[in-house]
Amino acid sequence: MAEKINCRGEAKLLKMNKSKKIFVITELVLAGLIILMAFIIFQEKRGKALGKISVIIQDSDDNQWSAFKYGLKMAARDKGAEMFVVSTGKILTPEEQMEVINGEIDNGADAVIVQPAPGMDTKKLGKRLKKHVPVMLVGRTVSRDGRVGSPPGVGPDNYAMGQALAEELLNDYNGSLKGKTLGVMAEMNGSVAVAERLEGFEEAVEGHGAKLSWRVTESFGEGESNSLAGQTKVDIVVALDDKSLTTAGACGAANDLHGALVYGIGNSTEAVYYLDTGVAECLIIPDDFNIGYHSLTEVAEKLGFYFYGMKNKKVSYRVIRREELFHPENQEILFAISQ
Amino acid sequence: MGEVKDKRWGYIRKLKPKEIQSTIMIAFSVISIFIMLFLGIVLYFRISALTRQETVQDTQKLMEQTRENLEDYLVSMRQISDAVYYNVIKENDLSGLGNKIQSGMNLIYEANRDNLRSIAIYNNYGSLMEAEPVALQKEDPDVTKQDWYQKAMAKVENMHFSTPHIQNLFDDATQRYYWVISLSRVVELNDHGTSVKGVLLVDMDYSSITRMMKQINAPNNGQYYYLCDNTGKIIYHMQQMQIGNGFFHENNQAVAKYKDGVHSETFEGESREVVVDTVSYTGWKLVGVIPDSTFTHGMFNIRYFIVMLILLMAMMLAVINRVVSERISSPILKLDDSVRGYEAGDKPEIYIGGPQEIRHLGCSIQRSYEQIDQLMREIVLEQNERRKSELDALQSQINPHFLYNALDSITWMIEGERNDDAVFMISELAKLFRISLSKGRTVISVKDELQHAQSYMNIQKIRYKNTFSVRFDVDESIDLYCTVKLILQPLLENAINYGVGSMEDCGEITVSGREENGNVILSVKDNGMGMPEEEVENLLTDHNRVPAHGSGVGLVNVNNRLQILFGKGYGLTVESELDEGTTVSICIPALAFTEENRKLLEKGYSFGGENKLSGRSEIAQDE
Repeated sequence: MAEKINCRGEAKLLKMNKSKKIFVITELVLAGLIILMAFIIFQEKRGKALGKISVIIQDSDDNQWSAFKYGLKMAARDKGAEMFVVSTGKILTPEEQMEVINGEIDNGADAVIVQPAPGMDTKKLGKRLKKHVPVMLVGRTVSRDGRVGSPPGVGPDNYAMGQALAEELLNDYNGSLKGKTLGVMAEMNGSVAVAERLEGFEEAVEGHGAKLSWRVTESFGEGESNSLAGQTKVDIVVALDDKSLTTAGACGAANDLHGALVYGIGNSTEAVYYLDTGVAECLIIPDDFNIGYHSLTEVAEKLGFYFYGMKNKKVSYRVIRREELFHPENQEILFAISQ
Repeated sequence: MGEVKDKRWGYIRKLKPKEIQSTIMIAFSVISIFIMLFLGIVLYFRISALTRQETVQDTQKLMEQTRENLEDYLVSMRQISDAVYYNVIKENDLSGLGNKIQSGMNLIYEANRDNLRSIAIYNNYGSLMEAEPVALQKEDPDVTKQDWYQKAMAKVENMHFSTPHIQNLFDDATQRYYWVISLSRVVELNDHGTSVKGVLLVDMDYSSITRMMKQINAPNNGQYYYLCDNTGKIIYHMQQMQIGNGFFHENNQAVAKYKDGVHSETFEGESREVVVDTVSYTGWKLVGVIPDSTFTHGMFNIRYFIVMLILLMAMMLAVINRVVSERISSPILKLDDSVRGYEAGDKPEIYIGGPQEIRHLGCSIQRSYEQIDQLMREIVLEQNERRKSELDALQSQINPHFLYNALDSITWMIEGERNDDAVFMISELAKLFRISLSKGRTVISVKDELQHAQSYMNIQKIRYKNTFSVRFDVDESIDLYCTVKLILQPLLENAINYGVGSMEDCGEITVSGREENGNVILSVKDNGMGMPEEEVENLLTDHNRVPAHGSGVGLVNVNNRLQILFGKGYGLTVESELDEGTTVSICIPALAFTEENRKLLEKGYSFGGENKLSGRSEIAQDE
């Protein structure tokens, strides 16, 4: 009998304990959910930015980067990312650039956009980083064969741009440059991009009768105008980068080119000005706004989603003649580069 | 189908709470959750609607202010144009000495240089007459092909505002390009006293408008503002370049046709509110776009806050529900516990407490249980009394019968002068009655019962002139066990009457006794004619049977007596085969014949069986 009573008491106790346990678990679950909600609200109030993206480009204060920087700025705004363009000197060596990149990573950069310094082995770039962060290259030709590079990059087809410039030149001379002398300016300093432009241009004009009088591929230092003026007189000066074009333009404006016509690739207001004033005959402008916008968008996507695979992007370029410089379709490019 | 339904109902039934506290708690909780959810949803939608309304109103106010600023700016530009025209151009001749027009324009330009890029006057051939600031005109701008010039010439009476464009008139030594909005109008120029038509151009700095628009576009919450002309051409958009490059799309062409006010539209799958406000003088439209995501973004925190509030309330209500349900159910549970305790054999101490209703219920149950207990006791007593009187009645049926038989035999012996036999008969009769009386006891020892059977058989043998023989085969070990008196005698009587009574010399009755599995088995076997199986089956069950011979005290009576005293597990067993004979066995428990056991048995405490009075006392077994 006593056993029976004990059993009943134990069952009752068990039932009470079970009920209490369910109650305590319910309260704990509710408390957990409240804490979660508070955490979400707190996080939302803090409004955490997507991440900090550092941009390392050569001679960052140069006018040629205006459209690129504007593209970066717009993309940063659209994607809610924090973007910072590192102030750099005229030309960085690969070692200096690595130092700058790692310095930025040390300073909390979550991703970097890099214009590789001339001579930089981009394939080993990832391994030399202090910390594994997304890296996007800009300015270089993105794999002509369509391959996805590592690290990925955004840039124009430099080879095609060189070719396009040659085609414009040939068009102006009805496809024959017979008897014409050419002077080519390409401030390469080991830059792959400029080398590709040169390659494209030279291959396109080859066999059309032009005589290459001189080719300057060195960096223009002080007195560069004089040094250009000191070159042999040519009929056509071809400038394959913005620096060369502005140098040639300045030279032409000062009537130091002995009447040579200037054809070039550039992306600064100065380059546009020389086209506008008739110093340059034809200007090819790469779509730097797109380079900036796409590179940052891809990096931001990667920061937003770890497994996102950043893609290569080949941007376009525009061939502009003086008479169509202010056409509405070109005004957008002028808008970007005059920012 | 039906099975599935039944199964489902089965699950639902299983889910039903079985305790009052759980029922109350679940009921309260379900009601609370529904109320909270309802309130939460209503609250959310109300706040959402208010926030939406407020956002649209704020946007309208901000746009109104910006529109006024833009209008002020445009009015000031018009005033500049008017001042140049009416105070400078109309008052002076282009060929005048000292160039008063230039100095007048210079004064106005200097006063407004923050907002102005240039002021220029062109004649009807598109030649530059005057310009401020003085700058080198480009080689061949050919203004007659420029939009602002053509518009001015097309409608001479109007002032024309262009959309933003790069100024393509002067050679800026800084090699920069400026974005301007041109205000152009046809003016009458005095050239050597002759009135000629010309165009006055005031180029406003686009950055002034950009600044105003950037200011209102600063908060990056998805909401944005843009400016377009009446054809939908964008004048300012914070994503102007993205639109140009196709990264972003704007519904500007459709919006240009909207009237002032708030419009709901769906653009590229997104619902949004569009607020349109037209800027005077220009027909430009200031457009505010509030995508649905902006409202959602604003409501994000509120949504979570409401959920948090609901959870907090749920947490508190869970505690309150538990306390309340405990308060309500506690007295009921206590009452239930005490009732269960009573059912399990506790004393009937029913819980009386809690609210008045429960107290009343407790009192009623307590009283009922007390009454039931009392009634039970009375029933037990009555039952015992009834059994005893029944037993007494059965025994009293036997006694006269015996007496009649015995006296009849003695009479018959005396008449036949068989005095010795009569003496023997009387002495056997005396033994028989001594045991029959047994001082009024019902329970006697097996030994006495056998003695009684022997005396009875001795009497019967004389009466039947020894036509049958009797053999007693009994283990002495059973002598001192308890038995009910006068149970063998009716069996022997039956054996004689229906078995061996009619046989000549070869009749034999065997009385045997032994202990078997804790029971005492006494049997009476005859070698008479036996009986069919059906008769055997009815022998112990048919109460209405009329006996053919004897006292009428049949096997049924003996069986009843045994079962009344020892329980249903005991009694008689009859085995019979035609022409072979019959064996009737008595089965009783092997209880030692002590005074204590005898008294207990006679009081009515049965040994096992259905009538057993449970657990009150055990019958002592002294072996």
